[in-house]
Amino acid sequence: MTNDMSIADYLAGGGKLSSPDNAPPLYRAELMRMMSSFVDSELAGSAGFAAAINWAPGIAERIAASRIVLEKADHAERVLELMGDFGTDTALYNRAHSWAARLPRDAVVDTRRMGGDMRLSVFHYPFEDWTDAVVMNVLMGLASVIQLEEMTHASYTPYAEVIRTVLPREKRHMELGLEGLKKLAASDDGHAAAQKAVAYWHPRVAETFGPAVSERFARLARFGLRHTENEPLRARWRADAESVLEDCGLKTPVAA
Amino acid sequence: MARFHPLEVTDIRRETADAVVLTLKPRDEDADAFGFTQGQYLTFRRQFDGEEVRRSYSICAGLDEGCLKVGVKRVEGGAFSTFANEELKPGDVIEAMPPMGKFFTPLDADVSKDYLGFAGGSGITPLLSIVKTVLAREPQSRFTLVYANRQIKSIMFREELEDLKNTYLGRLSVIHVLESDSQEIDLFTGRIDEEKLEAFFNLWIDLPAVDTAFICGPEPMMLTIAAALKKHGMKDEQIKFELFASSQPGRAKQKVVSQTAATAGESVEIQLTLDGTTRSFTMQRDGTAVLDAALAHDIDAPYSCKGGICSTCRAKVVEGEVEMITNHALEDYEVRAGYVLSCQCLPLSEKVVISYDE
Repeated sequence: MTNDMSIADYLAGGGKLSSPDNAPPLYRAELMRMMSSFVDSELAGSAGFAAAINWAPGIAERIAASRIVLEKADHAERVLELMGDFGTDTALYNRAHSWAARLPRDAVVDTRRMGGDMRLSVFHYPFEDWTDAVVMNVLMGLASVIQLEEMTHASYTPYAEVIRTVLPREKRHMELGLEGLKKLAASDDGHAAAQKAVAYWHPRVAETFGPAVSERFARLARFGLRHTENEPLRARWRADAESVLEDCGLKTPVAA
Repeated sequence: MARFHPLEVTDIRRETADAVVLTLKPRDEDADAFGFTQGQYLTFRRQFDGEEVRRSYSICAGLDEGCLKVGVKRVEGGAFSTFANEELKPGDVIEAMPPMGKFFTPLDADVSKDYLGFAGGSGITPLLSIVKTVLAREPQSRFTLVYANRQIKSIMFREELEDLKNTYLGRLSVIHVLESDSQEIDLFTGRIDEEKLEAFFNLWIDLPAVDTAFICGPEPMMLTIAAALKKHGMKDEQIKFELFASSQPGRAKQKVVSQTAATAGESVEIQLTLDGTTRSFTMQRDGTAVLDAALAHDIDAPYSCKGGICSTCRAKVVEGEVEMITNHALEDYEVRAGYVLSCQCLPLSEKVVISYDE
């Protein structure tokens, strides 16, 4: 029955792994990087949204923001648990960085993430007020849905499975934001503020898809950890964002 | 971090000429830690010639059996499997980590589901656990098992599967596929390939009705089966894979330690291998970690927390001497085998050869 096949060939052929023991070293490293990027982004996203709870204009919005804070931390914990199978000290991990820390509003953040945590670059920028948080949540929420859908095909099945369970909730977070945005954009003042926030966040969210030409993508594809290149995913997000903004009577900024 | 616990071997049953089933008992205080879910595995460790070997074996007991059992098939040249098959005896104590693995779906007594399982050789062990548990805990669910072996005498758990068929009349069907022993029906002889799967799906298995498929066996078999299932419309999330843990790398060699004494401030030559490419650069011995030096040289080395916690940046020191500032992630045996957290790794010798590929 048995004939020999290397794990590399198995993965390149579409094979899936289910246990840390079978992960070749570089696969392990790329998978860990991918998982920690998810964990750090969820923790930073949750921490950033915590402040927005007290800006909420109504109780429904307060509940929505609280729910986002709670569930994103829960999603981080689920993936961190998978990292624990590879040796990560999960108890120390949460204390490793200040997840609420943000850079100045006008900082230029290197998308290659040179700092000590792996959050997506967009999570280094601070919110200014409720409208700002809502707009970021909608635009980044749309991006997350696309980025997470890509992850549901990842060859490490325990990770793909966690992503499949959190995806509907992440989608709901975006929808909660969209409800808020529609309310805001209905008034003249709100509309102007939202349009200003769109101008700020749109290019920063676009960057989270990574460079159009990525050397790492080829490696990740070979490992079955990625399947669709950055640019087509970004194009899908641009289209989704444009249509959502249009529904709210908002304009999409012209790409720089 | 998971820790090893002693398990007493209470019974050893010879299953085939080259496979045994071990019944294991944890200490009373560890009983909770060894509560398991169907389809999970145990990782054992043992010293062979002064080196630690770790091997994982799937639990073959069902949830309601009230005991812990694993099947161990001897593989050629395999230190642990040979030991388990030839030396181990009742009363011995071996060390294992608590059960791990995610090769299962949640149980629900109220559902009526159709499960399909494919096992190749000793890939039957987790599937047996799943079959027994699902049939017992989901009284309205059904299971079809396609089980590939070389010949009749190499079939593990043959009698137990027959008993299960009788216990759960009409709810379990087993299709034995034998590579070299001919059977009454030609379809059941030979290897599982695309053509055979097509025939199964036409004649024996109502694939559209299947809720979840489990596959455990050698890599090529798993790829063939997964491709066929997908071709017939099954989704990624309906297919559960469990790869043999036997594919893990063999024994790790001790690192080569250079005795060269080092003084602070000198420059160090680093040779770093990443994804098959080796690059050289020099760095100062000034408290800079090897990872930071590599990043400064535009090398796309893997890392995440930079705090010695997550282990994303794990690499192997092939030559030279280094020290780690902190280590919260690597276990002693990994460190002994030469692994380091490159974010915490300061060079001590004049030359350090380090690889992310090993």
